[in-house]
Amino acid sequence: MRLRELLTLVEEYMLRTGLPVPAPGDVAYRWALERGPRLPRRGRVYLYTGALYQLAPYIDAALEAWRRASRLPGSGLLARAAARLPVQGAVRPRRELVEWSLRVVSAAAGLAAEAVEGLAYLYEDDLYSGVILYDLGLDEAFARHAEKVWARLKSREVEEIVTLDPHTAHVMRDVYPRYVDGYSLTVRSYLEALDEAGWSPPDAGAGERVAVHDPCLYARGLNVVEQPRRLLRRAGYEPVDPPRSRGDTYCCGGPVRAVAPSLSNAIAAERIEELASTRARVIVTMCPICFLNLSRAAAGRGGLELRDIAELLAAARR
Amino acid sequence: MEKAAADPELRQALRRAAWNARLAIRRALGQAPLAELAREVREAKRRVLENLDHYIEEARRSLERNGARVHLASTGEEALEAIASIVGSGKTVVLSKTMTGEEIRLREHLEKLGNRVYETDLGQLLVQLEGGTPSHIIAPAVHISRRRAARLVAEKLGAPIDAEAEPEEIVAAVREKLRRIFVEADVGVTGANALAADTGSLVMVENEGNIRLVSGLPPVHIALVGVEKIMPTLIEAVKAAIVQAGYAGLYPPTYINIVSGPSSTADIEHHRVRGAHGPRELHVVLLDNGRRRALRDPLLRDALRCVRCGRCLFECPVWSQAGPAWGGRAYKGSMGVAWTAITESEELAGELAYACTQCRACDTACPMEIPLSSIIHELRARHANRLLGRSPQQRS
Repeated sequence: MRLRELLTLVEEYMLRTGLPVPAPGDVAYRWALERGPRLPRRGRVYLYTGALYQLAPYIDAALEAWRRASRLPGSGLLARAAARLPVQGAVRPRRELVEWSLRVVSAAAGLAAEAVEGLAYLYEDDLYSGVILYDLGLDEAFARHAEKVWARLKSREVEEIVTLDPHTAHVMRDVYPRYVDGYSLTVRSYLEALDEAGWSPPDAGAGERVAVHDPCLYARGLNVVEQPRRLLRRAGYEPVDPPRSRGDTYCCGGPVRAVAPSLSNAIAAERIEELASTRARVIVTMCPICFLNLSRAAAGRGGLELRDIAELLAAARR
Repeated sequence: MEKAAADPELRQALRRAAWNARLAIRRALGQAPLAELAREVREAKRRVLENLDHYIEEARRSLERNGARVHLASTGEEALEAIASIVGSGKTVVLSKTMTGEEIRLREHLEKLGNRVYETDLGQLLVQLEGGTPSHIIAPAVHISRRRAARLVAEKLGAPIDAEAEPEEIVAAVREKLRRIFVEADVGVTGANALAADTGSLVMVENEGNIRLVSGLPPVHIALVGVEKIMPTLIEAVKAAIVQAGYAGLYPPTYINIVSGPSSTADIEHHRVRGAHGPRELHVVLLDNGRRRALRDPLLRDALRCVRCGRCLFECPVWSQAGPAWGGRAYKGSMGVAWTAITESEELAGELAYACTQCRACDTACPMEIPLSSIIHELRARHANRLLGRSPQQRS
């Protein structure tokens, strides 16, 4: 029953709000208004975040609420009712995570703007990509939502997008073409764009060793492997690889958090061990799901710091 | 599965096994042109799957020409009936590790009929003694620690060893016990890594040496073979066995057995006598059990190329935490989700599919280039439709 309830809930939220979990309506573009950079509204290439980084704190909170509700006695009706309650307000994201996501998206957008001259932003048309629907096997709901996203992108005459995370890059590059008639977009990760532009900050830092956690989709799906390493080196870091890295990378466990939390924790714990074995103090992530799951696993260990690559690169620029 | 993932001892055992296997596979890949061989096997398997009924018929004719008896079984029940009619009851039966046998619950069935049934692969024997299910298609007992193995062998086989016995002592105790049983056995049942259609030859790869005893000592040898194991030629069948061993990290394999018929001799006046030192009867049970249906399903069809090396499990983050808990009765891990859909229940496979992280490690590991993560994703979508009471959509 639990799985059916999860699927039903996610579909319901999507139908009602266009988002897979309870979150504010402006969650996708709030960073632009509050933190900037204020990118132009029109241009040749658009930043499309797909809102995954921004939703990460709310996904985290919703899963926690869901976990609590599932534990209520007489799980059936009561739990269902409780789980339906958390429309905004009742699902309170951790403040530090919200702050983290604003910071990372703002930093990544700033970097993307450096890579692509005249990069524009979609603001209220930066709709959620629907990737969680796809991942959960909710094909019909995903197809409907993808049509909506494509219609919106078409209305803005978007032909090329730059994305921030591997899931959105994958779904926009490889999955939309199979679900949406007439879909045609050039999709690049901002890391690819930065690397192609030969991005390099003027005063590179002091060569701190940082352990690279390759997200599965970048490493095995989109071939974004060398670019982040080159960028880190140019920014003055010394990227080091854990035993399993690049095309051989090991999952963070995040994608199964909703369905199998213990399994998800166990995978993350093993990955953190491997990353820690590099003896680097800083672990670099490039995906909000990896960040969430690995930081949970690293929380009990002292001396490890998880940083998103956007923050590291942006810090080197200052 | 959640319980398994929270068991530190199990996780430690799985982790160690996966790590060692990955190193062994890497060594094997550096040692021999296995990738090229895998490409040839893939192509041969594609040919067979495009014309499966033709190859089944050719294999049947070749086997019969060699003096083997062929039984075509559409379902697990039919295979069990066929085997039961050969074995009967009150017999001693030795089994080599056969996942196809595990798929149809062969051991349990033969026991129920009043036979004494012994697994002879050490890992599979431990699984039998603990009353569990295998963790991995080639390493069935990776979830069982040395101490537990020693206890099982002492208590259930009555071997004179204690809980602190070293692996060498456990192996020696099992060898001692089984040696007598091999000689006494009335029937030996094996699976096969491949069956050559052109010559009717079974190809069986192993390291323990139990398969040669199971298939060579008892007077009757039964081979239970899934129809997808058919290869066009003997050369290609041997290649499939080598690929299986290499990608399992067992290269070179210690033994490759080829059985093309019952043993015989014509040394006296050139008169052919069936049953010399080896079996006088060879039965081959060709099992469908969902395979031909899978062939018509564009989603599951690719999974029929599987050579059962198990490399996808060793690379899988879910299997390496949850082990045998992630799978159906016989088949575990990422290939196990697809094969549970083929041979057991698509509904169960759909549930299992939701524990996959979609990390794609299995896709890159598979020498047969089976798109396992896509298959698992689609099984999820079908399951979601089932749970939500919707009809499925077809996508390319």
